[in-house]
Amino acid sequence: MSQITSLAGQDLRDMFSAATSWLEKSSADIDALNVFPVPDGDTGTNMMLTMRSTMEEAYRAPDHSASGVAHAMAKGALMGARGNSGVILSQIWRGLAQGLDDKESFDASGLAVALQQSVATAYKAVSNPVEGTMLTVIKDAANAAESRIEEGDEDIISVLEATVNAAGESVAKTPTLLKVLKDAGVVDAGGQGLYTILEGALRYLKGETEAMRLRKPQIIVSEIHATTSVPIGPVEEVPYGYCTEFLLKGDKLEPEILRKRLEKKGESLIVVGDDSAVRIHIHTLTPGHIIDLATKLGTVHQVSIRNMDEQHQDFLEMQKERLPTTDTAVIVVVSGDGLTDVFGSLGAAAVVPGGQTMNPSTKDILQAVESAPSEQVIILPNNKNIILTANQVQNLTQKKVLVVPTKSVPQGVVALLAFDYEADFNTNARIMENALSSVKTIEVTRSVRATKINGLKLRRRQPIALLDDELIAAGETDIEVIDKVLSDIELEQAEVITIYYGSDAEASEAEEISTYIIETHPHLQVEVIRGGQPHYNYIVSIE
Amino acid sequence: MVVKIVTDTLSDITGDLTSEIGVTVVPLYVRFGETLYRDRVEISTDEFYRRLINEGAFPSTTQPTPNDFLEVYKKLSKETDEILVIVVSSKLSGTYQSAIQARELLKRECRIEVVDSLSVAMGEGLLVIDAARAVKEGAKLDEVTAMTRKAVSRSHLIAYFDTLKYLARGGRIGKAQGLLGSMLSVKPLLTIREGEMAPLTRVRSFSAGLDHVYSMVAAYPNIKLLAVEHSTSLENANKMVEKLSSIFPKEKIYRSVISPVVGTYAGPDAMAISFLEAEK
Repeated sequence: MSQITSLAGQDLRDMFSAATSWLEKSSADIDALNVFPVPDGDTGTNMMLTMRSTMEEAYRAPDHSASGVAHAMAKGALMGARGNSGVILSQIWRGLAQGLDDKESFDASGLAVALQQSVATAYKAVSNPVEGTMLTVIKDAANAAESRIEEGDEDIISVLEATVNAAGESVAKTPTLLKVLKDAGVVDAGGQGLYTILEGALRYLKGETEAMRLRKPQIIVSEIHATTSVPIGPVEEVPYGYCTEFLLKGDKLEPEILRKRLEKKGESLIVVGDDSAVRIHIHTLTPGHIIDLATKLGTVHQVSIRNMDEQHQDFLEMQKERLPTTDTAVIVVVSGDGLTDVFGSLGAAAVVPGGQTMNPSTKDILQAVESAPSEQVIILPNNKNIILTANQVQNLTQKKVLVVPTKSVPQGVVALLAFDYEADFNTNARIMENALSSVKTIEVTRSVRATKINGLKLRRRQPIALLDDELIAAGETDIEVIDKVLSDIELEQAEVITIYYGSDAEASEAEEISTYIIETHPHLQVEVIRGGQPHYNYIVSIE
Repeated sequence: MVVKIVTDTLSDITGDLTSEIGVTVVPLYVRFGETLYRDRVEISTDEFYRRLINEGAFPSTTQPTPNDFLEVYKKLSKETDEILVIVVSSKLSGTYQSAIQARELLKRECRIEVVDSLSVAMGEGLLVIDAARAVKEGAKLDEVTAMTRKAVSRSHLIAYFDTLKYLARGGRIGKAQGLLGSMLSVKPLLTIREGEMAPLTRVRSFSAGLDHVYSMVAAYPNIKLLAVEHSTSLENANKMVEKLSSIFPKEKIYRSVISPVVGTYAGPDAMAISFLEAEK
């Protein structure tokens, strides 16, 4: 591929307008990622609109030098910046413009220098820089560009390629830096937006305009999956006040002094701009005071005041409706995809993978408890070897945790089913524990060695059946051992039998067992469910 | 003049009970395809449930028009100058709105009070029965209205559904949403909270449901009125009555059938157990 060693003003226009269209294609996907700092879900749209304003100004600039276009972009971005992400993006352009100041055109090393300036300007704009956001992404990206230059690379495409790759890796790592992202299982939306812009510019330079027309940017997937099926929960309940944004125009505005004056008046303060125009973003409980102060210094434009508590409340309500209950979450330990789905369908907030041969660590359970969308958590260990581990969690978290000592999957199911939507936390744990006596559990597995136990002589790999953890039958086939156990139990009082067949068992054989039970005990209701559990061909619940 | 009481068909006050306690019942509507039927008037419960099960049809339901209420008000206003209207929860149906709108058209000729029962089926019906008793003992409109409004929070309803399919399909599921989607066959127990359907718990069999309902009802020491209704299974309702007879005299338990309009959402093999606590 041909090298590019120098870019001028028109190139900046072309590559970033291509990048804007590229971003536009995924702005809705990026919106869906937004969980930080308030769940208002419009980062993608904000960045896209900011970029549109950026590029309109870039095309309007009479000066076609790299410096002239970059400064126009910075001005357009500042004027049209929306939301936190838009403001930070505008500072990235402002830094770039400062880095390219007075330059007719620039080379790879000039780009790397300008990107470093972007990092400095962007960090300075935010009063409390948070890592794991687009700030981290631009920093990692700029550092990658710098290393390429140090290695002697002069091709802008290959330097930008390294920059984009580093940005992508940085985005993927954002959940390790920010807990809210990790809990939600997403990457930072602003970081993703920035990556998409850089990627779009690179693709344009590489001549991939046709591919850009047909394809869509990829959303980077977070690699962190501490637990399965954890719903995105309300993160924290602090008052957010009003998100206040406006553009202040005047003479000698002195942004640095303005920033100091506003610093104590709210959170998430961003003050950016120059002496003639400053964009202000602040989360405050008293937006009136801020606007008052501003009108004394100049004229106020594009005022936007949004009640974030309301947004947050809406978000919490929305989340609550998806949850089985508003104040108690139930976490279960189980293995097998089918059983995971069963517990999920019954309202478990999270499933920690684990069971007989794979006991989860205290930390695994603790993580699920911490991520649960509730301050009150009930744990169902579903195995006698996991109850103690689960008990440890009670001392390691601020949350209220109770363990209902379920020793098997059927006990876990009856406990979860008994959940009373109107009972308080302690009462519910008691109700669930009381329900355990209403179920008997048969587990069918293979003997791991030849032995004698409970008067039974076992061969290695022979089908055996346990009733409530006690080995009481051995035979030649699974169906035979199940039959032996069933004939030992008083089935007159039983009503429902559920057969969960494991990953090594056949659905057809499970149906055969079901048919056999119905024929011999016509009063029973029998259900067959694919559990997908390892090692146990059958787990049978008798209620 | 004696207060006249009006209710809607969802209260499940039917047949002899209607004339015995002297109330007028305004029907809602149930629609199969293109045809609109007046609840219990143009379609019987037997026929409704037969069609619901056999035809697999998706009936829909509609509230009475203001005019339906207006006609009843006009007729009654010839005999009385005080009417009390007790209707199904305004969170579940627009019936309350129709009753109010009709009142605006007739205000000058007759005093009409409309009470939102915040309940349905006999949860609503027991309030009607209680009000009718008070009227029989000589209560005037203001007194019986105040009494009924206070009684609303003492009226409880527990519903046992064989399936949530019908409730979900009709879009009336409310806070019981969390009960949906179970991979095991479970029977939901629901109640009414602040006028809306809300989840109680889930059981795996009818007899477990019986036990659960029994223990819930038994927790109330002072029950004044009690009703057991079914949609299609009289046998199951009889078992419920037997079970409850140890805490409430069997012969005093009101029996009824869940109306076609409510049946549209409750489906076959559903039961409703309603009770009104005595005043403390």
